[in-house]
Amino acid sequence: MPFAQLVSSGLERALNKLLQLDPDSAAKLRKLKGRNLQVRVRELPWPLIFHFSDEISLGVVVSEGSESARPDCLIELNLETLPLLQDSSQLSALIQQQKLILIGDIYVAQSFSNLIKELDIDWEEQLAKVTNDVFAHQTFHSAKSVMLQSQDFIQQSREIWAERLTKEGAVGINQQTLDQFSEDVVKLRSATDRLAARLAILEKAHKA
Amino acid sequence: MIVSNNPQATEQNNQEQTHFGFKTVDKTQKVNMVKDVFQSVAAKYDIMNDLMSMGIHRLWKRYTIDCSGVRAGHKVLDLAGGTGDLTAKFSRIVGESGQVVLADINDAMLKVGRDKLRDLGVVGNVDYVQANAEELPFPDNTFDIITIAFGLRNVTDKDKALASMYRVLKPGGRLLVLEFSKPTNELLNKAYDAYSFHLLPKIGQLVANDADSYQYLAESIRMHPEQEVLKSMMEAVGFEQTTYQNLTGGIVALHRGFKF
Repeated sequence: MPFAQLVSSGLERALNKLLQLDPDSAAKLRKLKGRNLQVRVRELPWPLIFHFSDEISLGVVVSEGSESARPDCLIELNLETLPLLQDSSQLSALIQQQKLILIGDIYVAQSFSNLIKELDIDWEEQLAKVTNDVFAHQTFHSAKSVMLQSQDFIQQSREIWAERLTKEGAVGINQQTLDQFSEDVVKLRSATDRLAARLAILEKAHKA
Repeated sequence: MIVSNNPQATEQNNQEQTHFGFKTVDKTQKVNMVKDVFQSVAAKYDIMNDLMSMGIHRLWKRYTIDCSGVRAGHKVLDLAGGTGDLTAKFSRIVGESGQVVLADINDAMLKVGRDKLRDLGVVGNVDYVQANAEELPFPDNTFDIITIAFGLRNVTDKDKALASMYRVLKPGGRLLVLEFSKPTNELLNKAYDAYSFHLLPKIGQLVANDADSYQYLAESIRMHPEQEVLKSMMEAVGFEQTTYQNLTGGIVALHRGFKF
């Protein structure tokens, strides 16, 4: 089975499905119509090529050096560099550090990046389409509260741990504890003295 | 019924006869017999393809497109294009400056393809032509790419069809033939035979109410020239840098040849 085609088919389907869920994406995609973008992720065995029309067609570059390998824009990068592309001000630095190779029209890459970043999908509405409005609203309301509570819990935990890890811990004991300890020692000494005296009396009585 | 394991020999021995599955028939008859088969299966062609190949035919077709080197502005001929799976994809890639011609000898298939593509919004750069692959109604040096997916085995005179494709291809253009072939592993070959001759007609009967057409499909696959033979046939009509790639153990092979 052509595995690369299976992967590209799945990716293409997912991308187009996501784009369909955002009514504004069609206008953004129109800006890219007729262009293509080749992405070579060094960890992957095959470069991918995105063809833009009313939807995205995703292909695998099978024959390097052929005409198909002459895209409008080519990006070559490592997987770890991929998230860094979100900050467009970092592009020049990434190119200088040779973490990113960019050949061709940068506008294609930027427009595609914006298209994905700016996807605005109303998931509640999508759920309402398959269930109903009330269920969808309640589900999302509950999900939001759980998320807020989780965020609070994470924030609190973070603060507690930050305090524990950064504040100086008490190495010695305080004066009050020392006084209490001394008093307890005196009391214990008196008690043992009394016990010793009683034992001596009992011993004497036994001998007599 | 006359059984022949060498379709070329059959054609060479008797110029007036050819094979239709395992049967030997007059050449003039075959066109109509194939037409009847596809007239019968046209409505359920897509669903049957998915069922028979467990959806893998879509990946084979994607691989064909990936190997085509297609880009914006290209002129593509999707020969025996049937229900337009390849055309839909090509149309999006070649864009407004390009053109895709979906050609099929069978008008029923062409109608199903045209309706399907229009429903998908594939319009503007696609033309529909009812054409015989042996005598393509296009001027010389017209297309950048020609594909024929699961169609060549149904053509009566394959050499004539390949020569016709060569003629209409531009210099520098490429032909891609995606077709059932001979599995490279003997065990897979036996399993595939059992599937083709026992299960396939039953699925055809169940889903399309047409066991005979799918029996023909299985027989026509066996009668189709195997990988090396088809490669030589392409070279014989002038194609250069001819190669083939076995897919799914050779159940299907993609042949590629260039015109320079």
